[in-house]
Amino acid sequence: MSNALEHSYNLAQTRQKWTTIAVIALILGLVLTTFDVIWAFFRAPIVASDVVIDPPAVLEGGTVITNQLLFSQKIFYFHVPVAIVSFVLIIAAAVYAVLHLMHHSAETDLRSKTCMEVGLVFIIGTMISGDLWTRHDWGVWWVWEPRLTTYFILTLLVIAYFVLRTAIDEPERKARFSAVFAIIAAIDAPISFGITRLIPSSIHPVLERGDSGMSPDMLIPFVCGIFGMLLVAFGIFRLRLLLQEQKLEVESLKARLEELDRQ
Amino acid sequence: MTAKAKAPGGWQQYCALLGKDIRMELRTREMLVSMGVYAILVLTIYGAALSQTASSFDILSVAAGLMWALILFTSLLGLNRSFSHETENSSLEGILLTPVSRPLVFAAKATSNLIFLLAVEVIAVPLFFIFFMGQAELGSTTPLMILPIILGSIGIAGIGTFLSTLTLNTRGRDVLLAILMVPVVFPLLYACVSATSVALLGIEGQIEIFWRSLLLAGGYDVIMLAASWGLYEFVLGS
Amino acid sequence: MDEILAYAYSDVIVAAPYVIGAYVLIWVALLIFVIIMLNSSKKTQSDIDALREAIERREKEQK
Repeated sequence: MSNALEHSYNLAQTRQKWTTIAVIALILGLVLTTFDVIWAFFRAPIVASDVVIDPPAVLEGGTVITNQLLFSQKIFYFHVPVAIVSFVLIIAAAVYAVLHLMHHSAETDLRSKTCMEVGLVFIIGTMISGDLWTRHDWGVWWVWEPRLTTYFILTLLVIAYFVLRTAIDEPERKARFSAVFAIIAAIDAPISFGITRLIPSSIHPVLERGDSGMSPDMLIPFVCGIFGMLLVAFGIFRLRLLLQEQKLEVESLKARLEELDRQ
Repeated sequence: MTAKAKAPGGWQQYCALLGKDIRMELRTREMLVSMGVYAILVLTIYGAALSQTASSFDILSVAAGLMWALILFTSLLGLNRSFSHETENSSLEGILLTPVSRPLVFAAKATSNLIFLLAVEVIAVPLFFIFFMGQAELGSTTPLMILPIILGSIGIAGIGTFLSTLTLNTRGRDVLLAILMVPVVFPLLYACVSATSVALLGIEGQIEIFWRSLLLAGGYDVIMLAASWGLYEFVLGS
Repeated sequence: MDEILAYAYSDVIVAAPYVIGAYVLIWVALLIFVIIMLNSSKKTQSDIDALREAIERREKEQK
């Protein structure tokens, strides 16, 4: 057997291993997020809104309800984890970009790009879920509010990253330039993350600093949601990476075949 | 500035590069003329866009946004031209062969772009006021808007120079520069529009918002210019 | 009393479709992405297998 083939079989073996790990991560993530949502729907307390009920309603157990209850807040249990994971992925893309600029390896470029791709999927997820909440709570699909605006900008930056990639042919330059742009784009991620605290006029809800603001009944599903979504992101990232590696292998096998044909 | 001072003769190199750009521009006037004409065209389009507004329409509330759109569009056009000499005569390779540090090339190019942008603004902004703000009751703080204009122009010139180098040898670079630049510049634009708006309206007690917006714009300038400065050698590369 | 309670909980019924919709849509987006990836992965794998076979055949012929 030739070296090329042996190499190919070895690659297939590692790929098999990583596919299993990715699928396990995906399933685990699915279980955790489902747990999060079920808990959020049935156990987490419903948050009171600003709308005061007068006279207050008294339940049979003696609980007094003074405000209209805000069910839509429950979107927080999966909208926020997805958003956090999208930030994590963009930052990860920038970290791989820095590594690429330091070591110039094709692998870091591939990882940076893959992080961006998965990041875009999570950004779309955040946008969809956030928009539905905005539609219900603010009565509109879109507001040019600081958090929404900076997040929209982040979306545009990620899309611009892919446009830049397609505009350059030379592989080495493509990798280098997109790494540079990934770092520039990632500057917006912390800005978008922190803007609701930076600009107090923002009407986007802010999670109070410190965990004391959340009861265990709220914290448990929320943390499960974050870890679940991180696992899902990791699984998708790995699968995506495997797919890219497969495509690279097709290229190298094709080259080998042509080489054989020429002999 | 400190980095420039440390490199021996860095200041002279910077001046030489900057002088070359300015002399070139004064000879051809390519950027200044095309940017100036384009700015007037944008103003003409505004004329059509605002022609149907009622007499009670308060131009002041949108003036800052319109003015910044004018500046951004004009600068996009100019930035696309800023490296055209270098690519046409492949003189960029010539510069890169000399032992000039890469960030210095960036600083010189960004400064020359800033000078051209400010030169066009000196004409375009007063024209904007003459055309559209004749009847507006300007606030007493209006002269303060020079500060956001300067800060915004520094940021636009810096980020724009960096990104136009990035798009230098790409397919469809004119469009690509806009696609990359608008989202990157956006936070700066947002802060500058806010500061300019407050200055134009001159409502008492809001001046604090002006300074905060200015601080945001300045902070973003510093972050972006530092990032561009640090990453420029990777953009020019080998 | 019942009316007041109904009012207190009135947001739940209105908001539920949006909340559930958001959750479902997130997973639909993720699932579509994963399915597209798995499909294309399968296709690529069959390409790889075909290429390997072709290489093996040729290597035998040459020996």
